[in-house]
Amino acid sequence: MKNVLLIIKKEFNRFFKDKRMVLMIFLPGVLIFCLYTLIGTVMENVSPTIPDDYMPSAYFYRLPDDFNDMSDLFKPQEYDSLEDAKSAVTSGDLDIVVEFPADFMDKYGSITPPDVKIYYNSSNETSFAGYSLATAVLSYLNAFTINSSADTFDLVDADEQATSILAMLIPMLMFSLLASSCISVAPEAIAGEKERGTMATMLITPVKRIEIVLGKIISLSCYAILSGLVSFLGVILALPKLSGGLVNLGAFSYGAGTYFMLFGLIISIVLLMISAFSVLSTLAKSVKEASAYIGPLMLVIILLGMASMFFTNPSVGLYAIPFIGSGIAMSAVLSMTASVVGVLLAILANLVLAALMVVLMGFMFKKENIMLKK
Amino acid sequence: MEEILKVDGLTKSFKQPKKLFKKAEGPHNVTAVDNLSFIAFKGEIFGLLGPNGAGKTTTLRMLATLIKPDSGNAFVDGKSIVSDEDAVRRKIGFLTSELKLEDAFTPDYLFDFFSGLYGIEKSVVQSRKFSLFQKFGIDAFKYQKYGNLSTGMKQKVALVVSIAHDPDFIIFDEPTNGLDVLTARVVTDFLQELRADGKTIILSTHIFSLVEKLCDRVGIIIGGKLAAIDTLANLTKDKSLEDTFFDLYEGVTGEKI
Repeated sequence: MKNVLLIIKKEFNRFFKDKRMVLMIFLPGVLIFCLYTLIGTVMENVSPTIPDDYMPSAYFYRLPDDFNDMSDLFKPQEYDSLEDAKSAVTSGDLDIVVEFPADFMDKYGSITPPDVKIYYNSSNETSFAGYSLATAVLSYLNAFTINSSADTFDLVDADEQATSILAMLIPMLMFSLLASSCISVAPEAIAGEKERGTMATMLITPVKRIEIVLGKIISLSCYAILSGLVSFLGVILALPKLSGGLVNLGAFSYGAGTYFMLFGLIISIVLLMISAFSVLSTLAKSVKEASAYIGPLMLVIILLGMASMFFTNPSVGLYAIPFIGSGIAMSAVLSMTASVVGVLLAILANLVLAALMVVLMGFMFKKENIMLKK
Repeated sequence: MEEILKVDGLTKSFKQPKKLFKKAEGPHNVTAVDNLSFIAFKGEIFGLLGPNGAGKTTTLRMLATLIKPDSGNAFVDGKSIVSDEDAVRRKIGFLTSELKLEDAFTPDYLFDFFSGLYGIEKSVVQSRKFSLFQKFGIDAFKYQKYGNLSTGMKQKVALVVSIAHDPDFIIFDEPTNGLDVLTARVVTDFLQELRADGKTIILSTHIFSLVEKLCDRVGIIIGGKLAAIDTLANLTKDKSLEDTFFDLYEGVTGEKI
């Protein structure tokens, strides 16, 4: 154990006395903070908060006389055609278009009720408010359906819609940040030492191979966790700005339990990533070769983290699948739907797999054709 | 004389890189060390003399437990290099250009770190560091990064670090290679001092003058096999060491130099 500590201390000395490595801890976090704040600011300008006395603008097409009162709740607008009005909704000049069918009054109150179409733009807050108001008013009458046909009523622009997916990307983003922290140290720490011949110097001392492995894995994980947490802090600090714009994760209503689960997940994910990358780093002859091995694995890991977004109702067993389970657990924790059993299972699965990799590395460190190959 | 190293039939072969044997010419394995046996006594400098590729370094790497022999064994002070590696590692110091120190650290830190790995008490480390650094003039640059030092300075630091744990059995592989005359002299003088202190030294080299200056006994390795082993006095009785070596070389390989 004393030797493990000595090696950890040596690695820390190497990390924290190197200005570039210290910079690498903080850089991703600062960048993500700036990026998120920028996105938040832009989104805030795009969709300002609606004032209480706001009256949505509307274009009524074939508004029956009996419903004229309805237009008092809106600012009625005039357009040359229905299509012009729809374009105005998409561009944000108009909030909603309410289209009554030609045979509205004939069907009104019959067995086959008429269908009223309300066109809106979900990326526009005032349009959405108008849509809600119109739906509420018309539903009150309860004698016809609204938007029951297969037409597209949300006239949102596809690009604007994409930004709302951002909220789902947090786990994938965390995976990418943690993986890039790990990849910045893992190839250098083992393949680099092999390449420079400094590993062999350690191998002729009586220190046990598994002690070298543990010292390396623990110190590398600490570095990656620190870097990952700085990145995470960048995300958390940028959230108020971001949520003010588009995404509302309710970050500051999270309790200690949520943060504790997130922290546990992050640590276990980093340990697993570092162990997996270190196995490849041990196999490689040089830093270049190690980076070539680790690059594709990093992509796979990020894709697995992404895959977790598609499990809307995951079974507990899925939590035990490396990386996918962690991604699912992280999404669940962030959306406050996580089960403690699931999160613990994901953490345990990561730790068990990381431990197996450490044992594997212990064996690899004893193989001269792996450790000393040129 | 007390026997401290017993090498018994050490054999080691290496696989040829695949591209070399794709054309199916020659063997897939190359035997670097072939059934090598010899003995070294306590307090002597034993020289392993041979041309490049003779198997000297491979032999030393096996003795230092860095690689395992295919067959045979060697015992350092009774401890097997095959089955009792940790005990052997505690007993030996190994200096070779193959083993490097990290550029980012200072000589002061490196000495402390490696002493720590050998489990040496801090007070002992400090006094040993003080005397060794003074002897080699490392004090002047002990807080400079290893990577910024000159070749001579680096070799001094590597030498001092390799014996930080005060081993009784020291293996030096070409210790004066690439050194200027001044540093080479410091190193050779130190080897003699170590012998005077009762340490056993295995010295691998292809420099005849170094063997003549330092070694008590010499083993000549050619093609992975021991061609001769005797005291320096016996080997140089009738002719110079250089002539003896070339006669042996011609006898073993059939090549006239």
